[in-house]
Amino acid sequence: MARPEDIPQPTRDVVLNLPCPAFDTTPFVAGPPLSQRRIAIVTSAALIVRGDKPFAFGSGEARFIPADTAPGDLLLSHVSINFDRAGWQRDINVVYPIDRLRDLAALGEIGGVADTHYTVMGSTDPAAMDAAVDQIAGQLKQERIDSVLLTPV
Amino acid sequence: MCALSHKLEERGFSTVAIASARGQAEKTRPPRALWTPAMLGRPVCEPSDPAFQLRVLRMALALLERTDGPVILEDFPDDPPGWLDNPDWTAPVTDPSTAFAAELRAILPLWETAQARFGRTSVGLSFQAPSAWPDFAAAILAGNLPVVPQLDTTALSVRFLCDDIKALYGEAAQAVGPAPSAKQVDTWFWRHTAAGALLQALRRTAMDSENNALKTVGGRFFVPTPWVA
Repeated sequence: MARPEDIPQPTRDVVLNLPCPAFDTTPFVAGPPLSQRRIAIVTSAALIVRGDKPFAFGSGEARFIPADTAPGDLLLSHVSINFDRAGWQRDINVVYPIDRLRDLAALGEIGGVADTHYTVMGSTDPAAMDAAVDQIAGQLKQERIDSVLLTPV
Repeated sequence: MCALSHKLEERGFSTVAIASARGQAEKTRPPRALWTPAMLGRPVCEPSDPAFQLRVLRMALALLERTDGPVILEDFPDDPPGWLDNPDWTAPVTDPSTAFAAELRAILPLWETAQARFGRTSVGLSFQAPSAWPDFAAAILAGNLPVVPQLDTTALSVRFLCDDIKALYGEAAQAVGPAPSAKQVDTWFWRHTAAGALLQALRRTAMDSENNALKTVGGRFFVPTPWVA
């Protein structure tokens, strides 16, 4: 998708007219060369570990995904039914590119992959996620992670 | 994602967001973002194509080393090949006039093949085994309000049953041969299967229900709007 003309209605209007938060600041954090950075993933796919309750509609929570979670134990509980799931069904990396980060780490292109990754419910108002962001930030600091890749659905 | 990117950067982390909707990234102005022409639901673009995925990730992660921010928004240049229908894909043989239980039994071997092929299944949100699905769905169509204990309400129990049915059929459609496009999978499911017809019926039943939660959830979350019959 991503080109407006490719999005079926009514999702197109929802996406194009979604209120977007405005920020007064423009933070920009520099870091070491990529080959020295350890990367964590934050995905808005509302992933859950098999057996856990799906995300509630409008939830502002964050859940932690241990990096060693088996692909078969990850389920996608996002509230929206208006995006493709066939890609996810075939390959988790289209949403949660953990194997590709491991590839890049093995090649020495990044410094490493975090032990913990993170997921939120993408349709939730970001204003309701400050506590979740604080939780994520706390864990990132604990693991000495300096860089984050964010993937939407 | 762009808003979370901003919030994490405020807390001292370098971030790069993949943006599915360029207009949203332009409005939110995250520190660094890569727009990709992937369909919604596939931000890293192409399933089962590590080379394409690595191209996306390399371009995204390279933005972390840029110093000409704040606010860098780049475009990934190429369309993922999976956008296009695959003429070599063959849909499983189904008939929407078949009883759902019989169709499901016939589809199960393909689903098992898909699990072997992909090493996993994305089915599991409903907390019910496929063998329980026909009776649960029949109870809803009969006007009953069964609840799966782990999901608390009938509305959510049916919602995630619908998700699991779509997931099982989506995996079965990809069990053998070349990959279909997302549109091919959707068209087959919604126009040519008893399961698709069942979800349409569940939606209609939900919308006629006096249970407000079921009515609301059924109207919005059982059948994607473009496929409502």
